[in-house]
Amino acid sequence: MSTWRARLGRLFPTLVLIASALFFLLPVLSSARFALQKVPMVLLNWSNVFDGWSLRTLSQPFKEDNFWPTLSLSLKLAGGTVALTLGLLVPTALFVHLRLPKARAFVEFLTVLPYVVPPIALVAGVAAFFRPNARWYLNSEYALVPLYVVMALPFTYRSIDAGIKAIDVRTLVDASRSLGAGWVTTFRRALFPNLMSSLVSSSFLTATVVLGEFTMANTLAKRTFPTFLYEYYGLKAQSGTALALMTLIGTTALLGIFTLFTRRRGARVPTRF
Amino acid sequence: MPFLAFLFIFLLLPTYGVVRKAFIANDGGYTTEGFTDAISKEWPAFWGSLKLSFVTALLGVVFGTLLAYAAATARRPKWLRSLVASFSGVAANMGGVILAFLFISLLGRQGLATKLLTEAGWNPYKSWFNLNEFTGWVMVYMYFQIPLMVLVTLPAIDGLKPAWREASANLGGTTWTYWWRVGLPVLAPSMLGGFLLLFANSFSAFATVYALNTSANLVPVKISFFLQGDVTGRSPMPFALATWMIIVIAVSMGGYLVLRKRAERWQQQ
Repeated sequence: MSTWRARLGRLFPTLVLIASALFFLLPVLSSARFALQKVPMVLLNWSNVFDGWSLRTLSQPFKEDNFWPTLSLSLKLAGGTVALTLGLLVPTALFVHLRLPKARAFVEFLTVLPYVVPPIALVAGVAAFFRPNARWYLNSEYALVPLYVVMALPFTYRSIDAGIKAIDVRTLVDASRSLGAGWVTTFRRALFPNLMSSLVSSSFLTATVVLGEFTMANTLAKRTFPTFLYEYYGLKAQSGTALALMTLIGTTALLGIFTLFTRRRGARVPTRF
Repeated sequence: MPFLAFLFIFLLLPTYGVVRKAFIANDGGYTTEGFTDAISKEWPAFWGSLKLSFVTALLGVVFGTLLAYAAATARRPKWLRSLVASFSGVAANMGGVILAFLFISLLGRQGLATKLLTEAGWNPYKSWFNLNEFTGWVMVYMYFQIPLMVLVTLPAIDGLKPAWREASANLGGTTWTYWWRVGLPVLAPSMLGGFLLLFANSFSAFATVYALNTSANLVPVKISFFLQGDVTGRSPMPFALATWMIIVIAVSMGGYLVLRKRAERWQQQ
């Protein structure tokens, strides 16, 4: 009786892991099969499920007229979001850390506020507020950049703040200043090298989130890469699935590179939450 | 400070815009009609969103905790734990159109699994399953809810010290006593907090379900529908819906942040 239960106790975690692996891998595998198959879906059955492969769909999406323009817009948005995030948050976090430690809780509170306003509500508000007041802003190609900065704020601020906490900023600043360096030199030669890994990691995560953002782009009718993917899939499901799969692999690789950056410091796994 | 000005313009003003427009009638006067209409006329959307969020949060907590526990206690492949943690980091971020397409290829009407199961004698669409309806949404949402729960609960499970288990056994406790009197009370704040986080996460999710079914009767999809359908921009409906949505999410996220503080008590080294 007791050995039976002990064996079950040991077997149970293994079963959980196997079931999870199946649940998380099957959709990826089936989409690869769907994207790369030559057998028409209607004729698909157990006997030909592994037959008839073709790589044709992998090159199809690149020939679309809208592929490169939307991808380049999304890359520009990602770059802009990262730049604005760093430009805004690094000075703020440093300032709060050095001069206004009392305001820390308040600033942290402000940075988690975007959790409460989901993208669809934020974009509704942006449309409501800027349409009568600043139409040129909504029409701009880069209107999404500040919205993406807001959306990414909770995790970008936390990651930058953690990077600052991990080093002794005050000593670095005092040492650098007493050696005669100005603020620019202090930041460039003393702080930046030490903050590098946390800045890079939050930038990678921001970029992947921007490259996959659909809700706000779709609602504001901006032609970004995810909206192209969505439209393209509606026209050509098979090549669309191939493109989705390639995008997935690309962004996962991006996140993978970024995990390598952070792991050296023993940081925790990156998330949006 | 530029940061405060930025937040003011791009977060507070839009939020204010939403709430203000929720209370302005078509003729420009102040009214609470839109606000109450949103919940009475669109009750099916609210009920759908609440039900979906509740079910996926509950299942996410159960399966996420089980997976995190299995990964944390497994000894044999050393890389297993970090694999599960890294994968969760990726998958928890993965909601969106891509996720929908993956599941359509597997469980859509013409999906691989649907075909093969039908051939084997069981058509999921003839029994309870439909990817474009509630059952399908739940399944797809689990793909990001479970990993999110793993991320929330893994540090808490690491906080369970083996010494507590030994202490419980020394005092004559069974496995059941250990879990009921020690393990669960320590994990409870993380699990409850995780539930609220998952609830809010699912309540605000738009892209995934929109890609599965553009006419899904859920609050975020309705907001998008009213925003795009209303050329005049005068109807309070999308803004009233968004205000309700902000309220629901504020309550659950607030609860999460409070519980997270409490959960971290056992996680310090």
